[in-house]
Amino acid sequence: MTNMTSPLDRRRHLTGMAFITPTMAVIIAILVYPILQSIVLSFGQSSIDGSEPYSFVGLKHYATLAGNERFWNSLWVTLVFTGLSIPLELAMGIGLAVLLNEHFRFKGIARLAVLFPWALPTALNTLMWRWMYNTDYGLFNAAALQSGIVDRPINWLGDETLAMGSMVVVAVWKTSSFMALIILAGLQSIPRELYEAGRMDGMTRWQEFREITLPLLKGPILVALIVRSMDALRTFELPFNLTDGGPVTATESLSLYAYKVIFDFIEFNYGAAIVVVQFLVIFAMSLLYILTLRNKD
Amino acid sequence: MKFTISALATAAALTALPGFAQELVLSIGSRGYGPAVERNIERYAAENPDVSIEWNKVSDVPGETRKLYVTGLTAKSPTPDIYAVDVIWAGEFAQRGWLEPLNGLLDEATIDAFNPSLLAASTVDGEVHALPLYADGIHFFYRTDLLEKYGLDVPQTWEEVLAASQTITEGEGNPQLYGFVSMWAKIEGLFMNWLAFANGNGGGFYDAEGNVAVNSPANIEATQFMVDLLHEHRITPDSILNARPDDARTLFQQGRAAFLMVQDFVHAPLSADNSPVAGKFDFTRVPYFEGHEDANSTTMGGWFLGINPNSDNKEAAADFLAHFTAQEQQLTAAVEDNRAPTIPGIYDNDAMKGNAVLAKFGKNYDYGVVRPSAGSGSKYPRVSEIMQLEITNALHRQKTVEEALNDAQAQLDALLSE
Repeated sequence: MTNMTSPLDRRRHLTGMAFITPTMAVIIAILVYPILQSIVLSFGQSSIDGSEPYSFVGLKHYATLAGNERFWNSLWVTLVFTGLSIPLELAMGIGLAVLLNEHFRFKGIARLAVLFPWALPTALNTLMWRWMYNTDYGLFNAAALQSGIVDRPINWLGDETLAMGSMVVVAVWKTSSFMALIILAGLQSIPRELYEAGRMDGMTRWQEFREITLPLLKGPILVALIVRSMDALRTFELPFNLTDGGPVTATESLSLYAYKVIFDFIEFNYGAAIVVVQFLVIFAMSLLYILTLRNKD
Repeated sequence: MKFTISALATAAALTALPGFAQELVLSIGSRGYGPAVERNIERYAAENPDVSIEWNKVSDVPGETRKLYVTGLTAKSPTPDIYAVDVIWAGEFAQRGWLEPLNGLLDEATIDAFNPSLLAASTVDGEVHALPLYADGIHFFYRTDLLEKYGLDVPQTWEEVLAASQTITEGEGNPQLYGFVSMWAKIEGLFMNWLAFANGNGGGFYDAEGNVAVNSPANIEATQFMVDLLHEHRITPDSILNARPDDARTLFQQGRAAFLMVQDFVHAPLSADNSPVAGKFDFTRVPYFEGHEDANSTTMGGWFLGINPNSDNKEAAADFLAHFTAQEQQLTAAVEDNRAPTIPGIYDNDAMKGNAVLAKFGKNYDYGVVRPSAGSGSKYPRVSEIMQLEITNALHRQKTVEEALNDAQAQLDALLSE
């Protein structure tokens, strides 16, 4: 009974293939090909205009990376940024989602308003924040100076620690609403009966949240975490528009460093090596999340 | 269906039109040459009604414009047809094949009219790849009313700048007023600033034998002075570390600084009718340190216009380019907008008499120093990056001045011997 393929089965199989082929072709062209091309570039030496043909140099660029302080700095900056912003976004996101799940007047408007920062392009948001952070004309310094908290303007984006903090604040402000949206969807799928049962057992609101809401939100939270972590590990528009990686290199993320190497110094091969390392970091992070998800089921 | 038919008909009619308008795209920022760009396009359009020129206003921050160009040129995009390049990119872009050689497109007389030392910046393998549009440099702007109020002479040395700043800021007692502002963000302008300070102290990028010597004692001393202005004397705002040329200009224009050191272009906005400092400021050459009055401390810049090798209309682009940079257009830009011409003959033109501002710019250029872009070619972006990064390290006191400049020297030695 091994050879069951009837002509009908085969035709069905072919039809299926025909339907997914265009999609697969597009995915291969815009996703798989560039990744493979980056890997190939990172192991070789070539010139962009084709005057110098591709030659294989093995791990040369990776060896240079390993000994490059600036690369390690950008990796560290990326991890610190991710490590600081994701937990804050998650806490804010859960808080917002729980609030928005309540019944109150103008709930529709409130939900729309929360989504606003996320709906605007990062570059635009960031420029707006850059003005508010501006040392000489910015909103924050105007408030701080006029209320007498400080007597000399604070250089928000010009101090190593403050610049990273300022960047995390913008990220949390912008993306908490995205977390909230996914978690809100999760909240609405929790059956009301569970809460009714809880109330009959005399649970407090806090107990309800801890014993019913949180455990049932694990799925949506993990999805939100994966998506946002991948985003944070690739962060580019935020430091590019807010600080250009400065002061010195205190906010230079991996993406920004790779961008500078590729477009300022026009070193595509070395730049490709940075991109491949970044790909591996994101891949490892996603794998970690996926394994955690699986264990929970 | 009707729509399709009418669309087809329109398309057919358009292609059938005799002398169908040629379209050229010009990429240049609006800050440096703004009024002249509009005027030149109008003049050209009046003489060539069949060509339409689109002005693509690119960023006035050169680093940003550069990234835009690199992306397009790498992808062999046919637009823009004509684009403006910073003097420091001209050699590199020509080497990379991103500028069409002009010798075949323009006649010799047109090219030979330009200042030969400027042409040298875009000449690779004996061929000129871009025409110089205007020269500029950095100058030292000061508030005449404040100097007068405190009976101070125009400072010539950095020591005098420091003393005058202290007198003025203490006298005014206004925490919103700073002594000296400039562009010390990690940008090309910071490297220009450093060259001004270093050369003003008898130092510079190269030593007398032409070897790279950024960690020389004179350079260390000059850099330390920059650090001290910020952290020790506190005559500059902390925000100078994020300031680009326009940020510094804005502070000065709003009456919040006594001294400003940036490029020529600020003269126009500062003297505009609605400018709070109009009539209250003047400028002089970049200061030097005591005992170095002959120092070449005016860091020079300038812009070129070239043709994209992937343009579909190279001939038309060349015609427009020649018209745009011709004597007639440059003369108007010199008289009306104080843009320093790149055709030497223009300076002797009668129309130039009485332009005191440009004459003064020109006098400052006599003390000019160029950036090491010709010597480092396609490595120049990395040279500049090393200097910007290490100077920033010193200004933020992440490293001592000596450490920072020693590190810069080591990186430059490694890079330039590659």
